[in-house]
Amino acid sequence: MTEEELMKAICSGNQTAYQTVVKQHLPSISHYAFRLLGNSKDTEDIAQETFLKLWTNATSWNPKKAKLSTWLHRITHNLCIDYLRKHGRLQTQANFDEADEEKLIEPHIKDTEREKLQTLSLALNQLPENQRSAIMLCTMQNFSNQEAADIMSVSVKALESTLARARRSLRVIIQEFDKQQPIEKLLSEREQL
Amino acid sequence: MTLDEFKTLLDTFGGTLNTWPSNSRKAGESLLESNPEARLLIAETEELDNLLSNLTGPDFTGLEQRVLSQQLPSRNTWIDSAIQWLVPNGFGIQLWRPVAAGILPLVFGIAVGNFFSFGISDPELALGYWDDELALLSFSDLSVASDTAEF
Repeated sequence: MTEEELMKAICSGNQTAYQTVVKQHLPSISHYAFRLLGNSKDTEDIAQETFLKLWTNATSWNPKKAKLSTWLHRITHNLCIDYLRKHGRLQTQANFDEADEEKLIEPHIKDTEREKLQTLSLALNQLPENQRSAIMLCTMQNFSNQEAADIMSVSVKALESTLARARRSLRVIIQEFDKQQPIEKLLSEREQL
Repeated sequence: MTLDEFKTLLDTFGGTLNTWPSNSRKAGESLLESNPEARLLIAETEELDNLLSNLTGPDFTGLEQRVLSQQLPSRNTWIDSAIQWLVPNGFGIQLWRPVAAGILPLVFGIAVGNFFSFGISDPELALGYWDDELALLSFSDLSVASDTAEF
């Protein structure tokens, strides 16, 4: 079934079509919401609300204007921003849950790589919300710059400059990590001796 | 293309040249061939992109079940959609919509006014009434009135 067919079925009250859409899009929606909100509980609430909105506002989706995933991410983005505004933490990321943070890295990844990923993950959490959204949508969720701009309700130019700032900050953090690594390695080897 | 321009494009479009705008791709490729610093920069950006794609989301066990089992509310009716259309979330941005909403009762009033007569009789019936009036006037004695008119 195509996206359009699924959405037509949802519009006519077909719950099986709704379940299919939920199964297809829930992982990326919850991942995106998690990166914006920083903890599992809020993420679950926002994911549930996103799909309720899909059910109630299915008729307002226009396939000529946006892909279904773009539309759903836009709903999630708006819900997250409203939530962050309501709780007064649009810029600060004090509420990032460290226990959840641990779960973000695949268990099979090597220790050095793992440390690097943890550093990156923490660095990502330190970025302002708009930079985090931009990098998430374009790099991790593989949306085009145009689609990401639509989701964030900004112009493509604004998105691109936000994206550039985010990449620059993260690249600096990774470079610093790489510089520190040999020193730390030497120190730990010396301690072992 | 200068190295700074190359850096800006890397930051904006990432380390995969295929995703770059087509007009900058060729220039980027030729800079890569000639400039070792550009090669280092693209390698760093590729590494960053790879690391970012390795950052998965947490496993939300049972979330799918919870989403699917939640009570689905009634669908938005056409009235809800009309209200949403007339008074959208970005209220100030589309000011013409509230204006349209304000004009709507006026248009409705004009339409209703044109459709119903509200006690105003039909002109043809009114003509019949005047015929009767003239017939009654022809029977009256108008001489008394002309006598009194002298005073």
